[in-house]
Order: sequence, then structure tokens, then C-alpha cells
Amino acid sequence: MNQERVFKVLLGPHMTEKAAIAAENNQYVFKVSSDATKLEIKKAVEALFDKKVAGVQVLNVKGKAKRTARGEGFRSGYRKAYVTLAAGETLEDFTGNE
Amino acid sequence: MQVSVETTSTIGRRLTIQVPAAQVDQAADAQLKKFQGRRMNGFRPGKVPAKVLHSRFGAEARNEAVSEIIRENYVKALSEESLNPAGFPEIEPTVNEPGKDLEFVASIEVYPQIELKGIEGTSIERPKASITDADVDEMIESLRKQAADWSTAERAAAEGDQVKIDFEGFLGDEPFEGGKAEGHELVLGSNSFIPGFEDQLVGASAGDEPTIKVTFPEDYQAEHLAGQEATFKTRVHEVKEQALPEIDAEFTKRFGVESGDLAEFKAEVRKNMERELDTAVENSVKQQVIEALKSANPIEVPKSLIQQEIDALKRQAAQQFGLGEDFDVSQLPNELFEEQGKSRVQVGLLLAEVVSANSLEASDEELRGFGEKIAQQYQQPEQVVEQYLNNEQMKNQLKSAVLENKAVEKLAESANVSDKEMSYQDALAAAQANPAAESEEASESAEAKDEENS
Repeated sequence: MNQERVFKVLLGPHMTEKAAIAAENNQYVFKVSSDATKLEIKKAVEALFDKKVAGVQVLNVKGKAKRTARGEGFRSGYRKAYVTLAAGETLEDFTGNE
Repeated sequence: MQVSVETTSTIGRRLTIQVPAAQVDQAADAQLKKFQGRRMNGFRPGKVPAKVLHSRFGAEARNEAVSEIIRENYVKALSEESLNPAGFPEIEPTVNEPGKDLEFVASIEVYPQIELKGIEGTSIERPKASITDADVDEMIESLRKQAADWSTAERAAAEGDQVKIDFEGFLGDEPFEGGKAEGHELVLGSNSFIPGFEDQLVGASAGDEPTIKVTFPEDYQAEHLAGQEATFKTRVHEVKEQALPEIDAEFTKRFGVESGDLAEFKAEVRKNMERELDTAVENSVKQQVIEALKSANPIEVPKSLIQQEIDALKRQAAQQFGLGEDFDVSQLPNELFEEQGKSRVQVGLLLAEVVSANSLEASDEELRGFGEKIAQQYQQPEQVVEQYLNNEQMKNQLKSAVLENKAVEKLAESANVSDKEMSYQDALAAAQANPAAESEEASESAEAKDEENS
């Protein structure tokens, strides 16, 4: 997988309370591009961090519906990936990435 | 904490200080806890896990903790090694990594250890002058000149007259820049213009249009004009002669003698002159003592102190030139003031040493006495003295001035002081010969005098 596609697939770390708990179970959460597949994400993470990935779960987060004076609208949503690393692998300093 | 001191020069010191890793890391953690309450996206306030906090703010927290520790330990090291630094240190951390002992180097300059050498055997000349009647008359004459009026005279201009002229200067046929003015008031014989200009105006009367040919001197400040021959077309508007005021009641009133009594006026003038002479004699002796002290004790002084003094001098200079409050004094070049600043720091340190060596003290009465002496030159002496004594800062200034004088006196006692006869004028000139060593209160009294005369 070429370098360009890696950065197109992985948009950045997703650091929340839930993600912090997941990190304790060796799962790291990323925002990914909406057209990324599990396989792509697996390869991208393996290429970028040089770690073995055990599995990937993805989901689409819907944007919130917002009403303003100009009418109703949606915030944009995003695609989120829970990447489980192989046993024994960890990501240090995950929060600072991209 | 481990401290090692290196001596880099007579006054330069290098402190290498080591702080145990545990202490630093603990401080960094404590600092990190302060970030706990900080709002962070994705987390409820206060719910950010320590790990996340560490990776996000760890470096920042450590920096803060380290600079705090450096400050603390620097001060502690100073008191342990009993060093007395002048100015601020230059601090450079050499090892600063988590898990390792923190090490930093502080370079400072200390106050020099002064082993005071006295000035025994140095000969000092004390100017001794008496004020003659002729001196008084001369002073009154110069007061008259200061108070002179200019009145229009219907005659040809003579030396000493003031003329009001327009002029325009030409190099060949070309007018040159800065060579033109209208309604300029010029006193003939004041030598404020290029040599020859004023001479050629002598004999001109109002309405004349003399053409003046002059050669600019070789060392003229405008280079393109230096050494050139120039022609000035001039037009004389007015010739004024100097009218010296008569010495009468009205004249004396201007100088504060209400009764208009001539004898009283003369006595007043003489009193002022005596005071001036006293100060001059004092200053002259003081300067010689200080000079002698300085050459007997060549000391190296900390750069930071010199810089402080230079800054103070710059501000003073800016004030003198009327550059205004918000003038940026750092624009003035350091070199101008370096010598003076250095000598002032040296003198200050040496005199302070003399004061402490002889354990001199200034009592309140002495302060009052000295304050009264200064205040004499003002209109309401009592008020000024009160003002001096009630203001803490001014009182301290007064105190240091008194102590300084005492130190000088003490030193003068040990030197060979011989009286030297000279005239009033010479005595005044002698005191002004070395303005660099001029002390603050001397310049203060000079200012006060200026006010009086104007």
C-alpha cells in the first residue's frame, strides 16, 4: 500500500473517554475516510505504525441534526474504526498522531 | 543537591548544580496534576486518564517543574556557597531528561572582594579662594547681560548688536540646501555662523542688502560645503542694540531683593557666590579623593552592574536632551556611557566599602543638616527639607549622599591635603575639570542654580 493512500485512509486518532478505555484493551480508535474498508485500514495501520493488527471493526457516525434560523441541517458525520492490535503490541503516544 | 563552583575570572563564577531525578520527576508529576481540571475534547472535565494527560501535557509540565526547581536550587546553592551575585545569572541546563538527574550550569558575576587600600600619602590640593569685590562686580555684570533687552537701533550694526536678517546662500549660481532662512536673529560677534559672515554684516543698517562672500572651513560638518566658496544674499530687517538694565531697585527685585537696597543685593550675590565656591571646593576635593581611591584600588566590576548604570545614565541623558518620557533609551549606543558607567560603579563599590570598613552611620540630624544645605538653593527651604525627610526613597538618597560625603571626608583625612591659592574663577573651573566624576547632588545643585538665575 502506498504512503499516500495511508494518510488518505487514516484521518487521525480519535481520543475520547471511551477510546481511552479501549486503549487499555489494546484497541485503538481512528477516524478514517468514509470509503475505507477494513482491509485497507488494517494495512494502513500496519504500514504507518509497523505493528501487527489482529482485527478491525468499523462504524459510521451520523452527524447531529441541528436547527438554526436558516432552517434545519446536519453536521457532517464520519467513519470510525476500532483497530485491535495483535497480543503484545502497543501504541505509545497515540494521542499526538496526525 | 550537589553544587560545584568554578572560578572563571576574578569575579566570574560557574555553578554546576545537580538535582536528583526523583525530586524532579515528583515535581513534574505534581505539576501535571494541575492540568487535571483542564477541559479536553472527548472527555468530561476531570475525567482525563493520567496516561492521556501525560502524553498530552507531560513535556509542558516538566518544563515548568524544571524551571521552578532550577530557580529554587540556584538560590539554595548561592546561600550554601555564600556567594553574592551581581545581577541575574545565565542558566543553561546541561542534562534535562526524565529519569536522569537534572544538571544545570549557572554563570554569575559576584561582587568583587575589595581589599581596601587607603590613599595615605596621596597629595590633594584644596582650592582656596576668596571672593573679591571685583568678582562680585563681574558677577553682577554677567547678570546684567543675562537680563539684557534688545531694542531697535536706527544706526549701522556694530559688533555685539543683534540683526534680524533673511539670507540665501549660493554655491556659484546654485542655491544650496539649508542655506536659506528668513527673519533669523543673529548676534554679531557670537561666532554662531561661519567665520567671516558676521564680520561682513558689521556696518549694515536696516533695509540694506549686503552680499556676503565666505569660504566654508575645511572641517565644516556638511561635507559637500566644506572648503567651498559661497555667496550669501542677505537682507537686513532690523538692527537691535543690547540695552543693559541699570542696577537699580527694579533690577535687584528680579533677583529677589525686594528692598532694592544695593548693598543688600551685593551681599546676596556674594552669599550665592560663596555657596557656589564652597560646593566647588568640596567637589574638587571629592573628585581628587575619588580619583586617588580609584587608582589605588583597580577593581573589576560586574558587567550587569555596569549595564544598570549605563541604563540609568541613558535615561538621564534622554531627560537632559528633553527627549520625552516614552523615548526608547535603548536606541542610545552603549559605548557612549560605558566608561562613565564603569567608573561610577567602581566608585560606588569602593565608597560603600569605605563606609562599611569604617562603620560610618548617618544620623537623622545629619540627614536634616545635609538636606537643609541642599534646600538653601530652593525658594522654600523648610518645605523641601520636609519633603526629603518624609519620602522614604528621597531619604535613602539623602542618606547615601551623606554617607558618601563622610567616606570622602574620612579618606581625605588620611591624604595630604594642601591648600592652593587661586582666584574665584579658577577654583570654579577646577571643580568642573572632571565632569565624569561629578556626583548626583552636584548636578542637582547646578540645576537649582539654573532655576534661580533664569
